[in-house]
Amino acid sequence: MFTKLYKFLSSLRFTIWLICLLGVIFAAGLWVPQKRLLKTIYLDWQQKSPDLVAFLDSFGLTTIYTSPITVTLWLLFFLNLSLVLWQRIPVIKSRIVLSESKIVDPESAGGYPFHSYYPLPDGLNEDKIFAALRKHGFTILGNGNMFYGVKNRLSPIAFALFHVSFFLILFGGIIGVYTEFRGYVELAQGETFQGELERYKDDPGPKLPEIGSLPDVSFTIKSIVPRVVRNTPTGISIMLVDSRGKSHEVGINVPYNTNHTSVMFKHLGVAPLFILKDSSGKEIGGAYMKLDVLKGGPDHFTLGGLLFATRFYPDYALVDGKPVTRSMEFNNQVFVISVERDGKKIAEGTVPKNGTMTFEGYRLEMQEMPFWVRFYVNKQRGLSIVYTGFALATIGVIWRLLFFRREIIGSIREKEGQLCLVVAGRSEYYKSLAEDEFVKLFSGIVRKTDER
Amino acid sequence: MAYWETIFYLVSMVIYALAGGGFIYSFVFKNPRVVSKVTLLVLFGFIAQTAAILARFNATGHLPWSGHYEYALMGGWFIIAGTLFVGWQNKQLQGLAVGTVPLVLIMLGYGYMQNPALTPMAASLKTIWLYIHVYFAWLSFGGYSLAMAAGVVFLLKQKSEAQEVPNPSYERFPSLGRLDELIFRYVVFGFITDTIMISAGAIWAKDLWGSYWAWDPVETWSLISWLIYGITIHLRVTFGWREKRLAWLAIAALSTVIICFFGVNLVVNTSLHMFQVR
Repeated sequence: MFTKLYKFLSSLRFTIWLICLLGVIFAAGLWVPQKRLLKTIYLDWQQKSPDLVAFLDSFGLTTIYTSPITVTLWLLFFLNLSLVLWQRIPVIKSRIVLSESKIVDPESAGGYPFHSYYPLPDGLNEDKIFAALRKHGFTILGNGNMFYGVKNRLSPIAFALFHVSFFLILFGGIIGVYTEFRGYVELAQGETFQGELERYKDDPGPKLPEIGSLPDVSFTIKSIVPRVVRNTPTGISIMLVDSRGKSHEVGINVPYNTNHTSVMFKHLGVAPLFILKDSSGKEIGGAYMKLDVLKGGPDHFTLGGLLFATRFYPDYALVDGKPVTRSMEFNNQVFVISVERDGKKIAEGTVPKNGTMTFEGYRLEMQEMPFWVRFYVNKQRGLSIVYTGFALATIGVIWRLLFFRREIIGSIREKEGQLCLVVAGRSEYYKSLAEDEFVKLFSGIVRKTDER
Repeated sequence: MAYWETIFYLVSMVIYALAGGGFIYSFVFKNPRVVSKVTLLVLFGFIAQTAAILARFNATGHLPWSGHYEYALMGGWFIIAGTLFVGWQNKQLQGLAVGTVPLVLIMLGYGYMQNPALTPMAASLKTIWLYIHVYFAWLSFGGYSLAMAAGVVFLLKQKSEAQEVPNPSYERFPSLGRLDELIFRYVVFGFITDTIMISAGAIWAKDLWGSYWAWDPVETWSLISWLIYGITIHLRVTFGWREKRLAWLAIAALSTVIICFFGVNLVVNTSLHMFQVR
């Protein structure tokens, strides 16, 4: 019973079943909105179909990538991988070892689909043939009477390498999960951040590491310069100065990396300095307002007990009396602001960059308009292990599938009254295509084809 | 679309349509002599498609890397380039175009219906990883497409050979044994480039999105596709799946790649792989 179970768990049939099941799970995760990945869509769906969502929740299908079913499948997958690897190690060892027992008669040996012989021209002896074969990458064992040659002898090691890479990715991934910190922080030009936990955004709140410390970062934002060409964001340059006075440029695809922590640009907004004054010119209030308006949506702020609902037009124009933006380029930046007191609209107007708006004895001044950015701060260990896994997987696949083994056995002997090179050959994966290769190889060596 | 890009794009589509028709004519009317002439036609179509890419490059300042239209334009170019390359290396393989040319024609038609507007390169795409990731993605798409084409040819030839009077058009192709090995070889090529594509994408994703794997729909589907081809290789090497079964597998598995490139973003609008290009 145990032997039967062991055999099944270590079989390639089981591997294929597991991969198919994992594939089905992954595909299901694309159709069923996932709680963590698509929170808004999930909540909306939950409101519309509470029973269905509750039913799927109970099976873990809305957290499918971490559900007990998936975790079990992954565990079985790695168990299977370990057993397969364990079983294959002796096979790999026996295949890469160079042994005299591999030297057999090319005319009677089984398992070699390619057989041929080539009459040897004068002057072509054992040494020259072996030298030519070595030049083609073959390791030769034996002598002219009978020899064995192998090309890409160590290729079976790549099998182990490829499968070990999965363990590295798993190991690095687990370390990453337990040491990961995730958080968002919004900072305007000129602000300093020293990694204070309370300054991270509440929604979504920071994910604290199970093991290890919080990110150790400290920097000041010196400048934020976005670039937009024909409605397409084409770049952003954020200059940071760290606590040692060293400058770092952050952009899209260019995070600031320090102490296992990456600080990545995620979102851009404007933070105009609005000052509200009364009719005598006395300042009632003022602050830098971080507004999320660059994608055309509304945002608001309060000042002096008034609510200011804003919309931002980076390239403002009036078309048929309605405000529009001609493009996303910052050519004519204007805020359209509606002022409310106790829920009632009391005024509406526009404030251009560094301009003013007057209403009911008040004067709203915009004195400057720097940008603010939302940074995604991520601290994670184990990344180098994961990347090593990726590298090993890539090397393993290339090595195993491109540099596959070719084996030849041969003998220099008399045949039909002529001294001939009698050979047999085999290749992993290919039979017909390898025959072409062997014919080309031996014809090249003897410069005369004389196929049987 | 730029003016010359439109002209050359349409010209290439017309030529591919004629070539596709030529291949079908060759098989249906058992006229193998047409194949090399039609292959020459494919070459002209390929030159026109290259000109369309250059015209777009001239207008935007970057190669077509993103969005469904650009996937079709550049991905189709890689598939045809692969087809012509293998046909040039081995004349017996010119007929693989019977599978790849109609596929590229459909891709180009679909791409034309998507948004082909000229846009500057989105900021998120300005990285060396784009070239590595996308280049290998297209190479793998090309390899898998050739495997599919070899699978189609294998099945047609096998069917023909089972008849009393085989269609002479198939005599031009390699033997069934060689076609079977070629299917596997193209799958292997696609799998290797696919592996590099996924690894490069993961490293890029870490810098761009903060996570090397985020179960993004395109990411997930590319993993599914990679696993399917991984299974195909295992089935062939370990379980000895050959010939008809392998051919059907190569044909069916291509659907996962097509879904990954074109299908996912049609049904899911939450993918991070939509690079905000208008």
